Amino acid sequence: MEQPTRPSSPAPWLRTWPAWVVWLAGACAMVWLDGRVDLANLAMLVVLSSALASLWLPGWGSALAGAAAVLAFNWAFVPPRHTFSVDLHQHVLLLGAMLVVNGIISALMVRQRRLARAAHHHAAREAGLRSWGDTLRDAADPLAHTGTLAETLASVAAVPVALIVLTRGDAPATDPEATLQVGELDADQRAGVALCVRQGQALGPGTGRHEEQPDLYLPLRGRGRALGAAVLRGLGDGPARAGLAEGSALRVHAQALCDQMGLALQRSFATREQQQARELAQEQGVRNTLLAAISHDYRTPLASIMGAASSLETQAERLSPEQRRKLAAGIVEESARLSRLTDNTLQLARLGAPGVELRCDWESAEEIVGAVLRRMRQRDPARRVRARLEPGLPLLWCDAMLMSQLLENLVDNALKYSPPEAPVEILVRRAAAQVVLAVRDRGSGIAPAWRARVFEVFQRGDETPGSRGAGVGLAVCRAIARAHGGELTLRARGHGGSSFECAMPVREAPAPPEDAA
Amino acid sequence: MSLRILLVEDDRELRATLREALSVEGYAVLPAASLADAHALALQAERDGGVDLVLLDLGLPDGDGETLLATLRARRAVPLIVISARQAEGQKVRLLDAGADDYLVKPFGIGELLARMRVALRHRGTTAQPAVTRYRHDGLEVDIAAHRVRLDGDDVHLTPKEFKLLARLVRHAGQVVTHRQLLADVWGAEFTEQTHYLRLYMGQLRAKLEPEPAEPRRLLTEPGVGYRIVDATP
Repeated sequence: MEQPTRPSSPAPWLRTWPAWVVWLAGACAMVWLDGRVDLANLAMLVVLSSALASLWLPGWGSALAGAAAVLAFNWAFVPPRHTFSVDLHQHVLLLGAMLVVNGIISALMVRQRRLARAAHHHAAREAGLRSWGDTLRDAADPLAHTGTLAETLASVAAVPVALIVLTRGDAPATDPEATLQVGELDADQRAGVALCVRQGQALGPGTGRHEEQPDLYLPLRGRGRALGAAVLRGLGDGPARAGLAEGSALRVHAQALCDQMGLALQRSFATREQQQARELAQEQGVRNTLLAAISHDYRTPLASIMGAASSLETQAERLSPEQRRKLAAGIVEESARLSRLTDNTLQLARLGAPGVELRCDWESAEEIVGAVLRRMRQRDPARRVRARLEPGLPLLWCDAMLMSQLLENLVDNALKYSPPEAPVEILVRRAAAQVVLAVRDRGSGIAPAWRARVFEVFQRGDETPGSRGAGVGLAVCRAIARAHGGELTLRARGHGGSSFECAMPVREAPAPPEDAA
Repeated sequence: MSLRILLVEDDRELRATLREALSVEGYAVLPAASLADAHALALQAERDGGVDLVLLDLGLPDGDGETLLATLRARRAVPLIVISARQAEGQKVRLLDAGADDYLVKPFGIGELLARMRVALRHRGTTAQPAVTRYRHDGLEVDIAAHRVRLDGDDVHLTPKEFKLLARLVRHAGQVVTHRQLLADVWGAEFTEQTHYLRLYMGQLRAKLEPEPAEPRRLLTEPGVGYRIVDATP
């Protein structure tokens, strides 16, 4: 019977002291009762002491102590006293019965203890499985717990453990790119893992398959397939092998741990695949909207250009010089519109791509606004656009081309969606740690339901006749603001109209030149 | 003899259109579809006087235009105008820093192109001897030699750095001057990254010379590239 020992606990014989106390108390009681009660009653004390002491003694100890006690009882109390001889037949029967009862008690204790220990093991394994299950259930990515599984298996089996786990649902276990390995494995073991994963069955000692192997291979079984394998190394030789033979309980337990991992992996792969499919569908949807909207927005100016150009081509000699000039001017104007639309579309695609690099520099808001005003004047002959800048604004760390594109789009938008005589204002002011560039109009405003959506690609307010092609403009504006760590928001103004406000973070500007005047 | 323009543009339609438009204006156009063509044409033209101006499209199939600029500039200062698409920002600024005269972003109008060409041709030979030392436009008078600036007849006091900056722009009136060129010429070669100096001094110059600094009429900003003082001739 092996005795579980722990280095930190006292030696096993030290823990048996209550048994010796019981025996001492029994002996004292017998000496004191000697002559006051008859021999059979004294004998009952021996049996009682033996039964009590066996609670603390190991099985063989209890049996030996019982036998010794019977002998001592015979020597001390059974006449003729102080000899081992027995003169009455009934005393022989008594002593014999005492020995047998002692033996039975010891045997029962041993059996009871074994059952208790088995129950304890079982409960511990159950608890282990449960907590492992909880860990996996709460885990977003079961792969992160591969190390925990290896540790758990190693502590359960008391041998070194290595693991190979698939990181993609569709990869073979031999692909180092698509697997996660914990612990060292040689080529043989790797082949064993591959076989184990392929067949989805345990192999090695005690499994009935590849019994000659020194290591036990357990698959991480998901539904219908294995998603990795654990190698319990050296489980095939020596004492470990005996432990394995002791019962398949260990293997069953280890397999259960592995299977939980397998199921969790499968769940996470399935979730990931679902998400990818959803993202793909979404991306496709966005792309389709974008393409549909682009072709719609391109078609209108293209139709004007086509009409004017073909008219010039086929009717030139019948048109007056003034008519020809108007047609040509129309072509130029619509081409400029197409060009802006193309710039916006390209910029939106560029800013949407990962790892986009901005050409940032220290820029003055005043200069950017000035450049935008200059470009806008061609489309703003009535000079409706006005700029107001707070004095002493800090420099902005930004890409000047992009910032002017942002402002130009906003101004373009404001001009288009407000009455022909209403003013449009560019207002730049400082607000705490931000510089806010606002473009404010006195148009009809944007319905609350639309406010959140105007920044989505190719959304438009109500289809105002004659207004066209603002869709990508606001989307690219927001993308530009965000690429700079800023944000673009829409606010309804108190007395009607909208204010598009781009808040840009202020960074600490470098020192001015030494000779600054 | 009419002025000869080397037109390097790989798009056939645009090349044909520009060729027509420039011919109407009296220029002799040498069209090239690639850098290799352009090199060959430039060498050939060298025998009878060379080309007078180059229009260079970026994004040609056989490389960028920097080698062409170097080859052309090796013998004499030929004005070169870069034609770029919006995406080729970095390359455009590199060429301007390397000495290209000006740029146009596609799509552009012929009127704009002709104006830029006129300015570039007027500035021919500026690297050897500045052609422009006086500037007079819209009430602003600058005399570099006499170190004098007048606005609507009144003297304007500028600090030495402000004057240097204005003079640098005036010498190339009508043409873009990059941030790098301005910083190198006004502050020195080690200051070419200090763009914020320019923001400060341009702000000061505008405050002194512009009726409405927020909407400048003379000292124009070319976002991401540099500055330009508006061309003095109508």
